[in-house]
Amino acid sequence: MNKEQIIVKLTTIVKPYIQNEEGFKNMSEETDFINDLEINSANLVDIILDVEDEFKIEIDNDSMEKMLSVKATIEIIQTKMNA
Amino acid sequence: MLRIGNDIVDLKLAKTQSNWQRKGFLEKQFTQKEQQEIWCSKNPFFKVWQFWSMKEAAYKCYTQKVEKRFFAPQKFECFLLEKEKGFVVFENSKFYTTSFLDEFYVHTIASDILLGNNTTLFLGIDLPKNIGNNIKLKLSEKKGIVFEEIEKRKTVIGAPLFYHQEKLLTNSCSISHHGNYGAFIFTAAS
Repeated sequence: MNKEQIIVKLTTIVKPYIQNEEGFKNMSEETDFINDLEINSANLVDIILDVEDEFKIEIDNDSMEKMLSVKATIEIIQTKMNA
Repeated sequence: MLRIGNDIVDLKLAKTQSNWQRKGFLEKQFTQKEQQEIWCSKNPFFKVWQFWSMKEAAYKCYTQKVEKRFFAPQKFECFLLEKEKGFVVFENSKFYTTSFLDEFYVHTIASDILLGNNTTLFLGIDLPKNIGNNIKLKLSEKKGIVFEEIEKRKTVIGAPLFYHQEKLLTNSCSISHHGNYGAFIFTAAS
């Protein structure tokens, strides 16, 4: 799965939790979940669990620690899917 | 220097937006010990969000010092000494916490030094949109500075700082928003 395909799926996953519409409209690889989308940290775990379900991967604690941005999330998804 | 963090959880929003009983939700964020305490608690929902706010308040306190962002709630382990008072351990650091709980929200403040009676803290809870102005108002009263001249800035990791011209007015400052609630806590620079 390429970056663009992953971003499309991620857009659907984060949508229920975003609080910044402008940031969401411009969502790209450079987007930060908290600073740009204003997602509450209490919802980060929901996103991580949704990513696990959607991509059928398991995200370990070390990977989870870095999942604050679209870029980091794409890297983790690609690594886990290719493992 | 004393560092303080705070976190507020709107319990109504937490109920509708997060399902703590969802598979993986507790396992990813809470230690075995915490999970056991949650399940043995009279009100597991309350316990989940009290622990969460303790972890988050401690994280905000810790990251003021290290200026690094990460998401590792499980590494912040909560210990309650009584209903509202406890501490959080992260690696070699310990943070002292006090939580305020009612049916509407949970608000926790964390500090890296045990707070004494001689510590002057400014704190408040209001609508999220009012928080910035509430802080400016308190600083304006305390310092005798014109409200409009106080400016909010952010550190590299997004922690709030309040300035008057080039003078930093806050020593440690933390802002939290969730749903209908906003909360702040700060210590003033001398």
